[in-house]
Amino acid sequence: MNEQELHGKLSGAGVAGLGELDTTGPDPFVVVEGSGIRPVLSFLRDDPTCRMEMLHLVTGIEREDRIEVAYHVSSLEHHHSLTLKVVFPRPEAGGHDDWRPGVPSVADIYPAADWHEREQWDLLGIEFEGHPDMRRILLPDEWIGHPLRKDYSYPSEHGGIPLELDAVPMYERGPDWEREEKVRKAKKEERKAGTPLRQPPAPGSDRPHAGGQAPASSKGQRHVIEPHSGDDDDGKSGAH
Amino acid sequence: MGILNHALPNIGPVKAVDTAIGWGRKSSIWPMTFGIACCAIEMMAVYAATFDLDRFGAGVPRATPRQSDLIIVPGTVNAKMAVRVKRLYDQMAEPRYVIAMGACVCGGGPYVKWGYNTVKGVHKIIPVDIFVPGCPPRPEALMDGILKLRDQVGRDAVFARREQAGKEMDGRYAAAS
Repeated sequence: MNEQELHGKLSGAGVAGLGELDTTGPDPFVVVEGSGIRPVLSFLRDDPTCRMEMLHLVTGIEREDRIEVAYHVSSLEHHHSLTLKVVFPRPEAGGHDDWRPGVPSVADIYPAADWHEREQWDLLGIEFEGHPDMRRILLPDEWIGHPLRKDYSYPSEHGGIPLELDAVPMYERGPDWEREEKVRKAKKEERKAGTPLRQPPAPGSDRPHAGGQAPASSKGQRHVIEPHSGDDDDGKSGAH
Repeated sequence: MGILNHALPNIGPVKAVDTAIGWGRKSSIWPMTFGIACCAIEMMAVYAATFDLDRFGAGVPRATPRQSDLIIVPGTVNAKMAVRVKRLYDQMAEPRYVIAMGACVCGGGPYVKWGYNTVKGVHKIIPVDIFVPGCPPRPEALMDGILKLRDQVGRDAVFARREQAGKEMDGRYAAAS
């Protein structure tokens, strides 16, 4: 059977939560509601004319306006396959990296889904309700966040292990390392925020390196060359 | 190493014994059985018959860090693995040497920008003696790294004072007196 026939079979059986067949892309897929993924997969597995014995993968896709969970199932007996997708539209408020879309787990229907669902939880933060053993599978257990989300903020270290390119090597850290690290991080945050580290010279000033705002009473003026004004006849008054 | 570095002056007989010991040490480097990722496949090829690292006396990987002189770090070191790499290095006895093999270990490689859990070079964790870049390096490149390490091991002094260490000692004595 091809995708149209499989979709017709599913809608003919009246399985709850079934959506439309999308044939716009090169790989047609059936959109399923979150609550309908378990009845649809159970039907596809158990119906003798569908006989989808094999779940290839459960994967997550984050797009600008939605997060999708895709299921690829195929039948070795009948040589046909089908792609199912559960779509979560991004909510107007709170659709950031703390947003956790939830879908029922299918690990008891297809045991192969167990580790795939753990991986999607680990990397994308999709919750699979009713999963028998929901832990992180790739990253350390104490990891914070889900790194494949678009607005994930990168960690600078994990458990004392530096993860940044410009981090100080662990065996070169001196007694003042923590203080220096704080200064370095503050400077980095400042760079990220786009704040210029040095004030641009005041407009009209011909001293590009003086900072434009050296107070006249401070010691900072000892190397500042005063600009020549019009009434300076010999031009030596500013020289030290 | 340790206290023996400063034990004896750098004179004829001491130097001769030192050279002999250095030759023996550099000719029997024992690497550790350790591999992380795809570079490890290339490292196994270096151990195997075609390239035969045993020609340089470094072809017997030991099964425990306590018997090893050399740790070749072949493959991407991520946050989870870095703890183990550091523990293995800490378990090795002095003198110990480290070869960083591959682009990931030398500085992050392809994961340098978006690798959220990649340590950007194993030199952030343990001190590295020889860097062998490449993705992965050819077996000849790793053998060149081993040969360069042999030179370094042969230069390390056991009994005689090394020049730099001797100068530091003299400076310390001068400052104390």
